[in-house]
Amino acid sequence: MILTPKILARLVAIVLLGVILQLSFFSQVAVFHTSPDLLPALVICLGLLGGTMTGAVTGFAVGFLLDCLLIEPLGGGSLVLLAVGYLAGLFRERFEIHSPLVPPLLCMGLTVLAELGFGALELMLGSDATVSSLVVRDVLLQGVYAFVLGWPLYLGLRRLLRPALVEERVVRRPKGPTVLGA
Amino acid sequence: MYRKQVRRRRAVLALLIVGSFVLLTVTYGQGSNGLQRGVSTIFSPVQSVADRALKPARDLVNWFDQTFDARGRNNRLHDELEVARRQAVGADAALAENAQLHKLLQLDRGGAIPSGYDPVTGRVIARSPTVWFSDVTIDVGSGDGVGVEDPVVNGDGLVGTVTAVTGGSAQVTLIADHSSAVSAKVVPLGVQGVIRPNVGDPGDLVLDFIDSAKHVHKGQSVVTAGWRGQGIESRFPPNIPIGEVVKASIEEQEAQQQVHVRPFADLRDLDLVQVLTGGSRG
Repeated sequence: MILTPKILARLVAIVLLGVILQLSFFSQVAVFHTSPDLLPALVICLGLLGGTMTGAVTGFAVGFLLDCLLIEPLGGGSLVLLAVGYLAGLFRERFEIHSPLVPPLLCMGLTVLAELGFGALELMLGSDATVSSLVVRDVLLQGVYAFVLGWPLYLGLRRLLRPALVEERVVRRPKGPTVLGA
Repeated sequence: MYRKQVRRRRAVLALLIVGSFVLLTVTYGQGSNGLQRGVSTIFSPVQSVADRALKPARDLVNWFDQTFDARGRNNRLHDELEVARRQAVGADAALAENAQLHKLLQLDRGGAIPSGYDPVTGRVIARSPTVWFSDVTIDVGSGDGVGVEDPVVNGDGLVGTVTAVTGGSAQVTLIADHSSAVSAKVVPLGVQGVIRPNVGDPGDLVLDFIDSAKHVHKGQSVVTAGWRGQGIESRFPPNIPIGEVVKASIEEQEAQQQVHVRPFADLRDLDLVQVLTGGSRG
């Protein structure tokens, strides 16, 4: 990703808007008793578009802002989201995104991973409460929501950040065949 | 050139990871810090505006969910249940306590709360997106008199407790959070225990450490114990409704000394809450 001040401003706006939208909308709606978590998908899409560094840095920033606004211990959200952002970026740098299903599938898989990461972090910090089996349902549903949100999110972000994207192929109309003697 | 770039990337990544761990180590268990207070002060108005602006859209999505779940047509039953619950709990508690309970159950309609407490009404403006943390942010803070450890209720019963405050907002840790523990008693038996969460299922709490000699039955109400003695007292006033016993097998009570409780308050769908500030129970 080619970072210019304009693109940086867009990235900051995307992160702020994403976090505000998550806290004010997605976290407060329930579909099948589970709230969608947009933020891992956002970080994953940014990682897929910009690579490891963009994924990791935006993941850290999103997690940091989230922890600040929720008045949670700082660093936990950053650690988990920078990991998924980095992994998404790594995928982009190692593999070709040759199918439109790749971003939503990655969003689904890595969102599940992020939720498990939050759980692992919780265990690491010491939790002696029992864990309901409904957690599994919630985590899987969040993966499904990430799959559904992943593709439009990826397309929207790609459109917003297009001037900065490397390897974004320019679509040209194919030339018509030259007819000799015409 | 390429190697230099790779080295730089690795350095940034290492810096971010180390930074995360340092932040986690420094801020864990501290409540709010200056940075969070600053960010929260800046974003609180934005969040409030976004919260109000997005309310119709939220309501629409939630309406679809409720319709799908056939919850929309249960409003009448819910009202009847509320009346029945009020009667059941009121009949079991002492007269003075009953008056307080009655007022607590009418909080939304401008009723009173236990004496010595000054209620501050707030609106939920954010909630944790992950399934592991059960806390919400409300739009009232220390500027409104809210302090750490103040109990939080809504019209149905106990919701949680304030765990961090900034000038204009506060973090409320719900009773379904892994870190929550509330001393409670079953009425009318008086069996005491500790309400603990079942992480990931806000509709199921566990009343733990109960006296296995007295058997608790399904349908009995659970309220805060509000104990006091030897210079210390529970942070919750007594007799705030918490929930209803929904599963109380004899085997589980005798073997694990616990029963399952469904909270009266819908912890997944909180909007207006009241923080009981002050805390002098006189």
